[in-house]
Amino acid sequence: MTNTEKHPTRRGFLDWLIGIGTSVTGLAMAVPALMYLWPAARTGGSDNVEVEGASDMAPGQSKTVQVGGKAVIVVRSHGGFEAYSAICTHLGCLVQWDGTKRQFLCPCHAAAFDAQGRVVSGPPPAPLPPYRVKEVAGKVYVSPT
Amino acid sequence: MGLSHRIKSFLDDRFDTATARTIIDQQAHKRLPPHTSWFHVFGSLSLLLFVSQTITGILLLVYYRPTPEDAHQSIQYITAEVHFGWLYRQIHAWGATLMILVVLLHMLRTYFHGAYKKPRELTWITGVLIFILTITFGFTGYLLPWNQIAFWATTVGTESANKVPYIGGWLRYLLRGGDAVTGETLSRFFVLHVIILPWLLTGLVVIHLLLMRLNNLTTLERVGEEKPVPPDSGIPFFPVHVAKEGVVAVLLLAVLVTLSVLAPWEIGEPADPLSTPPHIKPEWYFLPSYQLLKYFEGPYGAMIGIVACSVPFLLLFLWPFLDRGKERHPRKRPLAVAFGVLGLVAALFLGYLGHISETEQTFFGKRYHIDLLGWPHEIVEEQGDAEQAH
Ligand code: HEM
Ligand code: FES
Repeated sequence: MTNTEKHPTRRGFLDWLIGIGTSVTGLAMAVPALMYLWPAARTGGSDNVEVEGASDMAPGQSKTVQVGGKAVIVVRSHGGFEAYSAICTHLGCLVQWDGTKRQFLCPCHAAAFDAQGRVVSGPPPAPLPPYRVKEVAGKVYVSPT
Repeated sequence: MGLSHRIKSFLDDRFDTATARTIIDQQAHKRLPPHTSWFHVFGSLSLLLFVSQTITGILLLVYYRPTPEDAHQSIQYITAEVHFGWLYRQIHAWGATLMILVVLLHMLRTYFHGAYKKPRELTWITGVLIFILTITFGFTGYLLPWNQIAFWATTVGTESANKVPYIGGWLRYLLRGGDAVTGETLSRFFVLHVIILPWLLTGLVVIHLLLMRLNNLTTLERVGEEKPVPPDSGIPFFPVHVAKEGVVAVLLLAVLVTLSVLAPWEIGEPADPLSTPPHIKPEWYFLPSYQLLKYFEGPYGAMIGIVACSVPFLLLFLWPFLDRGKERHPRKRPLAVAFGVLGLVAALFLGYLGHISETEQTFFGKRYHIDLLGWPHEIVEEQGDAEQAH
């Protein structure tokens, strides 16, 4: 056994110091850089959105609007307005409302959801989440539930 | 005294140029194994395409603007107004596809020659990393024109990341720079595409080439029985192999320009985050994984699907350590060759299914609707109006 291994020498201590020092400095620089890359919380627009021209929509028609940065599909039925997330729960394409079939259809992998957003056919694993609809003085507002 | 002579003596006075010249000479005239053939040119062709991508990419950067408002417009400007802008855009787009193809051919060559075996395991592993970076180049570059197809293909692609077990949600958020594909995503992909990936790939290619030179190209002898190629035998790298590479390089450039002129990539409609166009499919090199994913349904299925898609890549990384056989000659490794051919055929078949899924095709005179999973359903014509049988 050499002297170095038994008693820490000045050389061994310096090696150790440089090793630890470099790692700690590196880590101290990497952590804020990684945090920097994490998307800063940012509201993607308003959370309570008026549906422009809602009063002109005939029963069976639909409109896609953005609520809090996410696409929402508003459908006018005979009873009034209903809104669901337009983002297909499979891989994120936007569904369209088919007024005759009374279904939301996804153009990407041929999924169908019924008028309550439940999966009828196709690969989506979950229903379309509903949005809250409020009618105030003839105007229609959509917001997350 | 001529100018070149003056430069030479200037350098000779200051540096040990003799040593440098010996090294360069040795490398240039290095003898490659006797079986070195036309199949051995795919590595340098990959390099050529990488250089071409770098040059055309820098040219495009002069006019391209990475924001949702300007991106599509700036590409239109490049193609319509800038001198030769259309050419550089097309060469960059076609070059990307050809680069992936050539890198794949290079992998096949080294696989079938058993070049991944000891002592070249690290050359192979850096190669697999290079391959992954190359397709990441394709994925990030595809979004930059900010057109409908690219926007929605990226939405679907990043949504697939959500299915990764445990960290999927974070991964998608980080990739997109938020919940949805937006200008934040464009910035991120832009930085990856023009700064991070080029430097990473440059570093890896340099290491890859150094390793390749240190071990020379593989002979077809058994592991541990390879004999060095003596200076008076084998194939001289310069000029014999370089001449072959030159011939194929010129052919490749001709193909590149021909494709650019005869089959130009379209710019398409600008991205519209409020409407998804029909027939969204990824580029051909993602089709096999994309098709494979479709067979796994439900929340757990999707997770298993993503894991299944990563198995081929894992196998590539681990392959030098899984195949411990000593033989290199393909005729003496029937199992490894069969496995390679099987993998290739499976990828081609899945890719083909992905390509024809959700279209109508004619086989043996009958029209079929091909469904999502690739099953054909015969289309029966009834009293003039076409109706689907199923
Ligand atoms: C930009 C991408 C690439 C470049 C520029 C490149 C470049 C090269 C070159 C010039 C050679 C020597 C000539 C030849 O064998 O063709 C080589 C050898 C090699 N490459 Fe690559 N390569 C790339 C990607 C890959 C990939 C994706 C793999 C495998 C997964 C790979 C694995 C190998 C191996 C194992 C060798 C040694 C071959 C032997 O010893 O015979 N390379 N590479
Ligand atoms: S994204 Fe809607 S079915 Fe796949």
